[in-house]
Amino acid sequence: MAELDDHFETADSGASNTYPMQCSALRKNGFVMLKSRPCKIVEMSTSKTGKHGHAKVHMVGIDIFTNKKYEDICPSTHNMDVPNVKREDLQLISISDDSFLTLMNENGDLREDLKVPEGELGEQLRSDFDSGKDLLCTVLKACDEECVIAIKNNTALDK
Amino acid sequence: MSTEPAVAKDAVLKRSEALAENTPQVSGYDFNDGLNYSKLFESYVNTGFQATNLGLAIREINRMLDCRDQPLEADQIDSHETDDFIRRRSKCTVFLGYTSNLVSSGLRETIRFLAEHRMIDCIVTTAGGVEEDFIKCLAPTFMGSFELSGRDLRERGINRIGNLLVPNDNYCKFEDWVMPLLDEMLEEQKSQGTIWSPSKIIHRLGNRIDDPSSIYYWAAKNEIPVFCPALTDGSLGDMMYFHSFRQPGLVVDILSDLRRLNTMAVKAVNSGMIIVGGGVIKHHICNANLMRNGADYSVFINTASEFDGSDSGARPDEAISWGKIRKDATPVKVYAEASLVFPLIVGETFAKRHHCAGKEFPRETNQV
Repeated sequence: MAELDDHFETADSGASNTYPMQCSALRKNGFVMLKSRPCKIVEMSTSKTGKHGHAKVHMVGIDIFTNKKYEDICPSTHNMDVPNVKREDLQLISISDDSFLTLMNENGDLREDLKVPEGELGEQLRSDFDSGKDLLCTVLKACDEECVIAIKNNTALDK
Repeated sequence: MSTEPAVAKDAVLKRSEALAENTPQVSGYDFNDGLNYSKLFESYVNTGFQATNLGLAIREINRMLDCRDQPLEADQIDSHETDDFIRRRSKCTVFLGYTSNLVSSGLRETIRFLAEHRMIDCIVTTAGGVEEDFIKCLAPTFMGSFELSGRDLRERGINRIGNLLVPNDNYCKFEDWVMPLLDEMLEEQKSQGTIWSPSKIIHRLGNRIDDPSSIYYWAAKNEIPVFCPALTDGSLGDMMYFHSFRQPGLVVDILSDLRRLNTMAVKAVNSGMIIVGGGVIKHHICNANLMRNGADYSVFINTASEFDGSDSGARPDEAISWGKIRKDATPVKVYAEASLVFPLIVGETFAKRHHCAGKEFPRETNQV
């Protein structure tokens, strides 16, 4: 049985996408899975045990990839899934004709599997790159999804 | 010797007109006659004040029940009605309304008795009137006192209803019981297109509680519809609110219930209203009876006053002006706190008839 389990987990690095946390231990600005989506908690309120039953935590979260709003209410003693979120700043090297980014990490390793993000951020990225700015792309990874969520000027190169 | 001034003499010794010959005389119960509660309550009619109203309320309900005891004529049998709960069953359809606090109190057992023996045809109550009954099947309500400090009770997680206490834990148990049932209802709405109305929800919960101490267990079993247009205004609503986040989509249709309630009133051969308390329960029953040009028999029991213009405090005469009670009816309002008088009224009417079943029961005649 253990072998089987191992087999199924080899798709990823072996680390689980999420880990459980008691609802009452969650905090604003932290991450949580709402409706199976990795979200950043932007609002949180608790109601103590009362006429409405068990103590509850009310959460509003913004999907870290799509910016969509999700809401949930959970008994404070229940466990919620918290996504493992990995954040990395990568230097932008080039943009291919089919909109793939060439990004380089601190060790000089290149990757070419991420696309220009959609919407305003993507347009900003292209125009900044075209005007010759050195850019750092902030890449978030959670639940087997990965995307550029922010860009900033690479000040390290100025010095 | 001087004579008294004529003006003063006339003022003090104004001659009386004779009262009508059959005017009853004030006379209370004589305890030398032994301890006979039935005789005592009979004496109430001529005792005065609210004792008179209590006595009249007992008479009014007994008239209502005399009417209800009569079988339907052949052409009054409601054979076309497909909804068993609202089918016309007797010559008098009896509507019972009561507020939440009464279910929290020991009146719950009195109301359950009425539902258990199918002595009423329709119930209208509020959300607390529904959930407090179910919660009592899960955990008890305790005696407290009116004087307990709210701050202190909040610290201890205890809620107060007058001099009764309900621990928060009771509501947690209720949540654990009701949430899976809400899941189930939502699932049926999605898969079978069930349209859930408050009365259907209460029917389902009554079936599921499966506890003969519950009012709604018997209401479900005896096919007595329970209407609750404000079903969401209580702990049950809190549960539905939370449920709407986890499992969105449950729809509660109050209009189909209004249709059922008004249909019952419209098709009634005669109708009787027993309304304990005020607010939505009082108006909802009266309004349904408007649809049939008014109820034939009415008893209101509450402590509300009419000077603020509220429906809660309105005397039956105001309902007559709206057509909610018939012009020729003899409605009674008892100004009294229900926990004190409702068991007495039920004892002298429904319960007496139940326990005298088979024996000859003295029928009320139609005079006051």
